[in-house]
Amino acid sequence: MSWWARPVIRLMAALLLPLAIPALLTAVLWALPGNPAEIICPREICQGTEALARRWGLDQGPVHYYLTWLSNAATGSFGNSWRVQQGFPVADLIWESLPRTAGLVLFSLVPLTLASALAALDWMPRRLDPLWQLIGLVPAVILALFAAAQVEMNYGAQSYEGWPLMLRLLLGATVLGFADGALANAVVGTRSTFEEELKQRYVQIAVLRGESVFWNSLPNVLPALVGQTRGRVLHVMSGTVVVEVVLGIPGLGELLFDGTLLQDFGVVLAAAWAFSLLSSALLVVQAGSELLHGVWVRRHPTGVTAGAMEPAGAVG
Amino acid sequence: MSRSRARRGPWLVLAGVLLLGLFVASLMAPEFMPTPELDRAYLPPWKAPPAGTDDRGLPLYLYGLQGARIVLGPSLAAGGLIIGFATVAGLVRCAGVAWLDGFIQVFGEVVGALPRLVVILVVALLIPMEWKSLTPIALAWAVLAAPGAMDEAASTAGRLGGERFVEALRAHGFDAFRIYLYHVVWLNLRPVIVRQAAEVMMQVVFLEIALSYLALRRNEPSFTHAENTSSWAVLLYQGYTGLLGVPLLHSLAFGLLLVALVALLAQALRMGARAR
Repeated sequence: MSWWARPVIRLMAALLLPLAIPALLTAVLWALPGNPAEIICPREICQGTEALARRWGLDQGPVHYYLTWLSNAATGSFGNSWRVQQGFPVADLIWESLPRTAGLVLFSLVPLTLASALAALDWMPRRLDPLWQLIGLVPAVILALFAAAQVEMNYGAQSYEGWPLMLRLLLGATVLGFADGALANAVVGTRSTFEEELKQRYVQIAVLRGESVFWNSLPNVLPALVGQTRGRVLHVMSGTVVVEVVLGIPGLGELLFDGTLLQDFGVVLAAAWAFSLLSSALLVVQAGSELLHGVWVRRHPTGVTAGAMEPAGAVG
Repeated sequence: MSRSRARRGPWLVLAGVLLLGLFVASLMAPEFMPTPELDRAYLPPWKAPPAGTDDRGLPLYLYGLQGARIVLGPSLAAGGLIIGFATVAGLVRCAGVAWLDGFIQVFGEVVGALPRLVVILVVALLIPMEWKSLTPIALAWAVLAAPGAMDEAASTAGRLGGERFVEALRAHGFDAFRIYLYHVVWLNLRPVIVRQAAEVMMQVVFLEIALSYLALRRNEPSFTHAENTSSWAVLLYQGYTGLLGVPLLHSLAFGLLLVALVALLAQALRMGARAR
């Protein structure tokens, strides 16, 4: 496989993802046995399904529904919520929740990035690895439960503004940074990437010259590190659902969960689409960095190896 | 007995005991919870063995049994699916089928591009009411976890030598069955495959607990099990009120013990399947 094939696949996936998610959801909705309107709102819960189908645009077939939804989504319109906050514009719900989820993800990346950097520089003691792995075995829901109890004991169950909300965000970010093996994977993943590079001759020669392993390896391991970081962000984004609901942070994950629980198809579709846009952005960043790195390596082969012995072989 | 086998033995025994315990618990699980006995509410384990009672006087161990029945089948199914996916990826790398290898890589890119829980919630939304259970969610989780398992299995097979390894064994006169299933899968891919499957099994149990816990927080029925059964999440949910002052900390302790046992089971399977 050529060096550019993987980044190009990623770019294509990034372009297709926001189109594919609503298409897939629409296709599955129509593929399931029964009327789409009844699947979304079963007769046991809803009355007047035909009228609801007309109102939701489900009565004119999947292609019409998909194209209408997509063209509306492109203008930032997702219709109104059917159940989560009945009659409230979904776009407003998304815009209100997005900054909190973004904050949660960014805060949680602080311990992960710090741990990765320490592991890369070999400043993170290896004897702490079992500790990170042990903490990583604890599911996010349990750590979040303890964090929520801490907030509610100190500030009350209805403390959702000001400092208590910030505290919920910070504790949520800490949970995401440590639970489900996030920190352990960041430490072990980064360290093993550098250790693998250490086997290359150019790094060994750099060591003999008394040069830094980190600075010699970094240009070559950068694409792998970017890939790992994307994986970590996806992992954290996945965990936001649990953390937001348990800690009562009104974010995108909570919106998605409430939409699923209350069978609010409009909210779920819009929230999933928002997540797909974020995922696409991550894919573009990874693909872009790989392409830039590939081009740069081929234009300046000696620059990558810091003037060492293996100009092209070190790139792999 | 070789030294490596002696090291693996205790872990295998432990994994077997824990799996058997889970199996027996799921068989013993009652169909419905008994009538509440409010005069026996909040009893600690030493007054109502083995785990105490909840706020309605119901024995907590019954929640443990019902929770075991909810998670056992789906988690085993998810683990089995991972074993299948990882084995195929390893064998494809050894067989040198380039187009299939490429397809697996593209599959991994696409499937791994979205946050897993987002996909799971979308799947949960789309499952018709009468099919709502943990099994489809567990299988979807396994498919989402498959790229990582496949990638690791393929890399392990690649490090082994891939096609050259198979050629070398052919030169020894071994047949394809022995080469692929014994030398490649059993002797070399087994540790990776079992570890990945054990991790996914554990993740499915934790996923069930998380989804049921979130539904409990919203006072809504969970989409992972029927309303007449209770998940292990109930223990944690009651335990949460224990943290806020209600005398139910023993419920939290019992819930955490079950979570720890599941993590131990995954660890025991991993250690038991280590390479020589």
